[in-house]
Amino acid sequence: MLLKLENITKKFPGVLALDHVNFELNNGEVHALLGENGAGKSTLIKIIGGVHKADEGKIYYEGKIVSFSNPSEAINNGIATIHQELNLFEELTVAENIYIGNIKKAFINKKQMIKEAQNLLSKNEFNIKAESLVKELNISEKQLVAIAKALSLKSKIIIMDEPTASITEHETQTLFKIVKELKNKGIGIIFISHRMEEVFDIADKVTVLRDGKYIGSGYVKDFDQNELINMMVGRKIDDMFPKYNSIENETIFSIENLKIGKMVKNVSFEVKKGEIFGIAGLVGSGKSEIPLGIYGYMPAKWDRMIIENEEIKKIRRPNEALNYGIALVPEDRKSMGLILELDIMKNIIIQNTDLIEKAGVLFWSKAKKIAKAEIKKYSIKATSINQKAENLSGGNQQKVVISKVLKKNPKVVFLVEPTRGIDVGAKVEVYNIINRLANDGNGIVFISSELPEIVSLCDRVLVMHRGKNMGILEGEKITQENILKLATGVDI
Amino acid sequence: MMDKNKILKKMKEYPAVVGFIGISIFFAILSDRFFTLSNIINVFRQVSIQAIMAFGMTMVIISGGIDLSVGSTFALSAVIMASVLKGGSVFLGILVALVVGALMGFANGFIIAKGRIQPFIVTLATMAIGRSLTLVYTQGMPITGLPSSFRVIGRGNLLGIPYPIIIMLGTFILIWFILSNTKLGLYTYAIGGNETAAKLSGVKVIKYKIIIYIISGVLSALSAMLLTARLNSAQPTFGSGYELDAIAAVVLGGASLSGGRGSVIGTIFGALIMGVINNGLNLLNVSPFYQQAVKGAVILIAVLLERED
Repeated sequence: MLLKLENITKKFPGVLALDHVNFELNNGEVHALLGENGAGKSTLIKIIGGVHKADEGKIYYEGKIVSFSNPSEAINNGIATIHQELNLFEELTVAENIYIGNIKKAFINKKQMIKEAQNLLSKNEFNIKAESLVKELNISEKQLVAIAKALSLKSKIIIMDEPTASITEHETQTLFKIVKELKNKGIGIIFISHRMEEVFDIADKVTVLRDGKYIGSGYVKDFDQNELINMMVGRKIDDMFPKYNSIENETIFSIENLKIGKMVKNVSFEVKKGEIFGIAGLVGSGKSEIPLGIYGYMPAKWDRMIIENEEIKKIRRPNEALNYGIALVPEDRKSMGLILELDIMKNIIIQNTDLIEKAGVLFWSKAKKIAKAEIKKYSIKATSINQKAENLSGGNQQKVVISKVLKKNPKVVFLVEPTRGIDVGAKVEVYNIINRLANDGNGIVFISSELPEIVSLCDRVLVMHRGKNMGILEGEKITQENILKLATGVDI
Repeated sequence: MMDKNKILKKMKEYPAVVGFIGISIFFAILSDRFFTLSNIINVFRQVSIQAIMAFGMTMVIISGGIDLSVGSTFALSAVIMASVLKGGSVFLGILVALVVGALMGFANGFIIAKGRIQPFIVTLATMAIGRSLTLVYTQGMPITGLPSSFRVIGRGNLLGIPYPIIIMLGTFILIWFILSNTKLGLYTYAIGGNETAAKLSGVKVIKYKIIIYIISGVLSALSAMLLTARLNSAQPTFGSGYELDAIAAVVLGGASLSGGRGSVIGTIFGALIMGVINNGLNLLNVSPFYQQAVKGAVILIAVLLERED
């Protein structure tokens, strides 16, 4: 046994984050940690990684009781955590990033360092140059740098916190190959993911947490997907992808030959009232830029754009797009969707000041009523409308963004990765909102890297590859295989 | 009655208020002259000039910016106003001062927002340019002998309350109202909190940034008017270092230099803390050489206490 946690309990002010949780990890094992947001996964890995101290319980590491008082103690003892944010220094080289925590001398021989780093990278078949700057790498290459750093420290346990959240399907496969090799070296891997199919792909064992409690664990092969979901949410979700929109015959949005710099080249599509129109593609394919260009956030050109019979020549700024009835739920709720320091009410009002404003003066009593109604409408779980956005869970943050965006009664709604990093229950709620929105006669453009949701939810799917429209799939043709083929530039 | 928790929460929200009360009690114990009506009015009058500038700085800092040029704007508007005043019209003089402040603010805001350059660099440059323009305009000489109808602004009073204090309180109420009850105020917090999200929410970020810097410039000119009226002269060296006092008051008031957080209530007490320290040390006959060190120490202690873990 490499690592064993017994009856770990951790209290934070007002919450019992972990309640007598058990966890075991063997050498050469990939152990998936599953649970909705707030289940206690992060707290658990932070306790293993030395960030937090457990209030109760014992940790056995290689047979001995340990208690790390800070992260560097854990790292030096061979427990490395690869955080979602990766924590790399963008302006430094790959080699410097790998060795930065481990430099013993005052003067550095850069050549030597780069040589050592390159050896390490090549030995593990990581296709990266040690002298490149980290900022020149894409996300999955950066992940490899973080892994190389862990390897350079001779880590015995590597904790990966949602490593696949922001990389493409293809990059995920590359990552899994590497994970398998780490496994063969005897390294124990703790793997956190929201994507069920990945757990079945890569993990040997699984442990499920819910509301800070240990629900169960065992070999992955002994579970099926629905069982795990039921363990995670504590209730049955019969249908992960509800779909009940009905398409009308009237086109609500169309665009011809959209061009956005070098990112998007002559893309055309149209969306009908009530339709959920998907856009798929790999990172860098231009799929995320399409809504930003149409919305006036990035400079864009088009030959013809029509929203409900009105031709729109130019949109220079987001506020103009909003006036035309275009709404955007942006890709990253924290950096693009919310003002984290402000409360729920102000976050909703910021895009809807016209509802409570007279000559620039805001009437907060009206805002309170609106915010209360919105919290109810979208069942946002919060202590009050004055709770700061930063203190909400991911799913509830996303619902605040959706609420503020939809309050304007838009005609066409672009949603970019709206379910990224939120738990299964919240995902289903987002799908329901999208269905209802479509049935109210809106056009929906749904942009996502998660193929299962694209396939299950969308009526038609446009696939992007290197800025070009590779084709629009319809009906039975919408399959993960077809989308992947088009997304990698292969015709079907 | 507020219960204990509520009071504690309020105290946490406005640490500058707590600091002000604490320091006042300290000086009141050590000096029996401190807690007299005339001394309190004296402190408020001395503070009024810095406080008005700091109110503008509060908006700038909440929006995620900084305005280093306020001291130079102060000087430039003072000397131009003084020369117009010597020509006769008080009204025109004041108007010209406010316009000069607004123009400096517009220049700052326009370059920062349209040119997308860091506010620190832009206002560092306009600070130097403003100071230089002041020296060129005056040839380094003070402008004196202003009309008595103007001097009243600095020296007169209403029911025993000096005009500078009344003007400061009026400005305070105005900025407080803007920040808490107007679209401009909400957008100021939004732009400082997350500019991308603000833009995507349809906020015209460029326009509002320009307005915020204009307000800062106009308030610098307004406080220049008070000092000029009080001293009956405008000096080309006016306002040097005032930008740091203003920033210190805002930070003491609990604002974050990275934007998105702060309040004008905090700022007024931040300014009062600095005023009370000056005044109290004077009453205790502490050498002025020590005063800067005490102020610096208070700022450090304050930010250490306000630090969030």
